[in-house]
Amino acid sequence: MKGNGPKETAAKFRHSLLSRYLLIVMSAILLLPIIISLSSLSYTFLGGFLKSGESSEPKYGNASQMESLWHEEAGQLRGGENERIERRLRELKERYPEASMFWVDGAGETRLVLASGEEGYPVPERWTASEAIRFMKASVNGDPFTVVAFLGEEHEGPDFMVLQMPRELFLSTEPTGSVIYYGLFVMALFFLFVMVSLLFFRRIRRRLLRLQWAMTLRGDGGLPRPIEQSKQDEIGQLEGAFNAMATHLEESREREREEESLRKQLIANLSHDLRTPLTVMNGHLHSLKRDNLSADGQEALKQLSGKVGDMASLIDNLLSYTLMTSGKYPLRLETTDVLRLVRESAAAWYPLWEKEGIEADIDLEKTGGPLEWRIDREGFKRVLDNLFQNVVRHAADGGYLGITVEGEGNGRSIAIADRGQGGLPSGKGAGIGLAIVGYLLKEMELDYRMERSETGTTVRIQPRGG
Amino acid sequence: MGAKLLYIEDDKEIADFVRGLLKERGYEVIWLASGERAVEEASGCHLALLDVMLPGLDGFTVGQRLKKAEPALPILMITARTSIDDKLQGLQFADDYLTKPFHPEELLARIEVLLRRFRTSGAEPMAVKHLLVYEQENRIVNGDSGEEILLTGKQFHIFHYLLRHAGQIKTKEQIYEAVWNEPYLEGDKTLMVHIRYLREKLERDPAAPEVIETVRGIGYRVRA
Repeated sequence: MKGNGPKETAAKFRHSLLSRYLLIVMSAILLLPIIISLSSLSYTFLGGFLKSGESSEPKYGNASQMESLWHEEAGQLRGGENERIERRLRELKERYPEASMFWVDGAGETRLVLASGEEGYPVPERWTASEAIRFMKASVNGDPFTVVAFLGEEHEGPDFMVLQMPRELFLSTEPTGSVIYYGLFVMALFFLFVMVSLLFFRRIRRRLLRLQWAMTLRGDGGLPRPIEQSKQDEIGQLEGAFNAMATHLEESREREREEESLRKQLIANLSHDLRTPLTVMNGHLHSLKRDNLSADGQEALKQLSGKVGDMASLIDNLLSYTLMTSGKYPLRLETTDVLRLVRESAAAWYPLWEKEGIEADIDLEKTGGPLEWRIDREGFKRVLDNLFQNVVRHAADGGYLGITVEGEGNGRSIAIADRGQGGLPSGKGAGIGLAIVGYLLKEMELDYRMERSETGTTVRIQPRGG
Repeated sequence: MGAKLLYIEDDKEIADFVRGLLKERGYEVIWLASGERAVEEASGCHLALLDVMLPGLDGFTVGQRLKKAEPALPILMITARTSIDDKLQGLQFADDYLTKPFHPEELLARIEVLLRRFRTSGAEPMAVKHLLVYEQENRIVNGDSGEEILLTGKQFHIFHYLLRHAGQIKTKEQIYEAVWNEPYLEGDKTLMVHIRYLREKLERDPAAPEVIETVRGIGYRVRA
């Protein structure tokens, strides 16, 4: 995977999400001028088509065009050519019927006035300096729009002509609808971009969610399973890394399992090797029993036989404890009716109690309903076996074994009581058995308390904190 | 008795003493030190005694093969494994099991129980107190009067279940679930009612039952 150098980097970049998103952004930016020009083209085409005949430009051009036109006209006229001036003004009036015009001769007398109907500042008959200034003051930037031009080629005057025209004629009649149209186009473009981005991220999101789902999913061994790698981009690489991790976990689990089975095998072999001689000893003891032994001899034989049994259970407990505490005996906790389990275990032990002369007083009925705890069945049976075995081995002299339910509701406890005189000998064989009881109950979140007295021992098992 | 037993055990010392013990009791014993030829030797045998820890093929595999070849052959497993380990795996096909070191008497007792349970000749009735039970013919005769006792389907099932596990105590849940084939519900009195009727038919004195014992606080037991 490593060491492919720049080629792979290039390939990686080509496949990367970053480059793909950049492509979307770039195409949006590049498309923008094209689309804008396209839109104006289509607008012109469409607009011309829709609004044919209805010019959107001002009727007579804009104000400055009008102004220069007026000055030009004035330049072609001379003072004193009264006839020509008036003829020209009349012609102009015909061309611009909305305008009002007049001219003033060198003597300051107003000559031809061609009014348009609505007058602005009243035109004086005679022009004094103050009249001229008043008129100019009223006209500057006013409505109507006023142009004053001196006649003559060099505009030397003193004759001048005046044009007044309503300002509204110069306003553009461009319809406002076109701006909205244009805005809509840009908006649509923007939405297109957002949609494409959204789709892009939605796909990324979906793939990430798939990965998350794959991570939470547990396969057979409680490990995540590898998933199908979809693409070569960053998420694809993430999937690849995830697969590598899953494989790695699987391998280490496999190794662990091998070690576990090896250890179990070792313990099984050990157990076998230790028990075989005990079995042989039992056989020889059995043959001895048929010989005519003295009472002492018979007693010694019985003791020996008992010790062989103790030895066997000691081996069993020791090996079990090794397995359990090294975590090689995983507990499977399930909600189980404990009373039923206790009854079944007691059923298996009952014949031995009968043989040992132990009266079993079992009362698990008086409290209503099953008692359900989260336990490992085999583990709990093992706990009961060890406790019952202790009673048989160390408290058989009491001749009594009581199994009862105490308390009420969920806090109910199971009590196993005997009337053994000596109580449990600490550290003598019972130790490892009780260590197993303690270990298993702790793992099943149960508490146990043992009360020893002169008159016997009672063990109580109950849920933790109950 | 003269039943023929197949005995597979790799440890010669144990094998010698068990063979001696079994022959003394009148059994015919075929001893194999490994499981390779188990299936071939098993034909004509009445019971297989199988050690779990064998060289080559392990006891579980041998047992499973035997059970496949001879489903009617009872198998008694002898295991030296720790009790928390793999016991259930062995029990799936085995009819009973014993852990080493076992007491010779216990081995003999278990063999007898198994042979009785699997006895093929229906001619010989099994005696349970004053009753004679012809298992093959599903017939129960009162030994005192010689009269046949007729049981209803469920009564017969219950009795048969206890008889098949003779000597073992079965809880009411176990009996109910084996006979009715559905989970026992706490407080259900059906089983108690059936046992009362069953006792009225089977027992000499239904008030002091001997055939179906009540083991207080645990369940019921039939001792053959």
